[in-house]
Amino acid sequence: MVTCLMSLNKYVWLFAPSLIILLIVGLIPFFPLVNYSVQTPYREESLFVGLEHFKKIYQDARFINALQRNLMYSMIVLLIEIPLGLGLAYYFHRPGKLNSIISACIILPALFPYISIGLLWRLMASTYGPIGQLLSNFGISYNIAVNATQAFGTLIIMDVWHWTSLVFLVYSAAFAGMDPNPILCARTEGASESQIFRYIQLPQLIFPSIFIILLRLIDSLKIFDEVYVLTSGGPGFSTEFVSQYIRNVALEQWNFGYGSALSLVYLFVIICLCVSIMNILTKGKGVLQ
Amino acid sequence: MKSRRKILTNILRGIVAVAIVFSFAFPIYFTINVSLSSKTYISIGSLLPDLYLGNWKDLLTLERWANAIRNSLIISAACVLVGLILAIPAGYVFARIRFGGDRHFFFWLLTNRMAPPVVLSIPYLLMFRSMGIWDTQYGTVLAFMVFNIPIAIWLIASFVVTIPREIDYAAFLDGYSIWRYFRRILLPVIAPGIAVTAFFIWMYSWNEMFLASVVTSARSKTLTAELLTTVGRLGWGIEYGVASAGAVVTLIPGLALLYWARKYLIRGFTFGRL
Repeated sequence: MVTCLMSLNKYVWLFAPSLIILLIVGLIPFFPLVNYSVQTPYREESLFVGLEHFKKIYQDARFINALQRNLMYSMIVLLIEIPLGLGLAYYFHRPGKLNSIISACIILPALFPYISIGLLWRLMASTYGPIGQLLSNFGISYNIAVNATQAFGTLIIMDVWHWTSLVFLVYSAAFAGMDPNPILCARTEGASESQIFRYIQLPQLIFPSIFIILLRLIDSLKIFDEVYVLTSGGPGFSTEFVSQYIRNVALEQWNFGYGSALSLVYLFVIICLCVSIMNILTKGKGVLQ
Repeated sequence: MKSRRKILTNILRGIVAVAIVFSFAFPIYFTINVSLSSKTYISIGSLLPDLYLGNWKDLLTLERWANAIRNSLIISAACVLVGLILAIPAGYVFARIRFGGDRHFFFWLLTNRMAPPVVLSIPYLLMFRSMGIWDTQYGTVLAFMVFNIPIAIWLIASFVVTIPREIDYAAFLDGYSIWRYFRRILLPVIAPGIAVTAFFIWMYSWNEMFLASVVTSARSKTLTAELLTTVGRLGWGIEYGVASAGAVVTLIPGLALLYWARKYLIRGFTFGRL
């Protein structure tokens, strides 16, 4: 232990610069956040209000609704994307010209800016866009500015389009990295494809699965850009998620005190959820190893 | 009989493949189509463009858009440079040396990824204003370091781990200073890793929108933040042409990444853990 620390001393200046920058942008911001969360900043002076803001959050129906909607959204997209990405990766991970074209197409959306994805889908979902045209052939009138269910459904389709790519990427890398010998061996012994999947491939997919579930959970809880562009939380508040509500409070109503309190609660919920799910999935070992 | 069945499954596979390629490629095609369409074509939702180039001309000549593209290029390039300079030594240390609390430190790096940008928006606004770097390119680069440094450290560390330690020992026994070791041995050996890290810093910085829209207002607004303003300001169904041309420009780094760094994509998304 002592020797470890001594050798670390020698290297301190190698990582000190990045540590300092990270402290400035990643840790120090939380001091003003905590500071503001117990005050009502108003013009020049600030009023100390104690835990009033946090009490208000309990009764804030709009926040509770946004949080519930956010959790439901995360659950739905994870339930669709994980099996879909796994299935696609299972069928298209083998090398080959056709498969590489298909996987390039599937991977592409993950590399694009969120806001551009939102814009792409807003074009698709606009009143005269292709989705509306297609659905009007079946006699369904499609307008996400009016119909809340359609707006929510479109968001889910957009998220699946955007992020199945990442699930696919992770699983196809996992399939590609598997040792082919046990599989060949099992096949010559007469094992069926489903048995090979169940007993040889599936156990090797556990770590990638944990990783991708956590990654998607974090990202889907943070969702903002695409929703803002596609529906702006509307119609009404029917597609408003937590990020957007906080942005509204902080950057549009300029209510820094309440916004800070909301931000802290939001961050707390995300970290608790992720840590507990990580601990459940890895039985307390963590993904860092 | 068997061959007929095989042909049938092949046809089925072909249909599925075409459907997948179509559903993933169509929204991208449609955006390119809109960027090349005039207003009347956009308003009727035409699936074929009339090859109207006005949107692209606006994008490249209007001050607002040209400035945004310039800012995005400068800020992303600066992020790559600063991020690499900071992260290569740090990544080396984290790959080689175990110290008390290193796992907690790694976890803290991960929580930086968990923090939604909106949580950082209030403090950044206040801090950057009081530091006098609000709405400057320096400030934006600094803000982007919050996600760039963790990802860069993780990636560099994941590449350094693959180099045998014996090389380090041999170099230091030969009396190499740490500088000389970096220049002569480490950097050439992990050159592909550095390229991949640079690619990913570029992509994350280029794609980031929320922080950019908080810490900038006019002078140093990035392309993605400018897109947000356009979409937010103009109502439903107008001015799509130039916005979709802007969106098409934002897609370019992703396409480049897919082309050149395909082998390493997985690392960039999973912090080098897979």
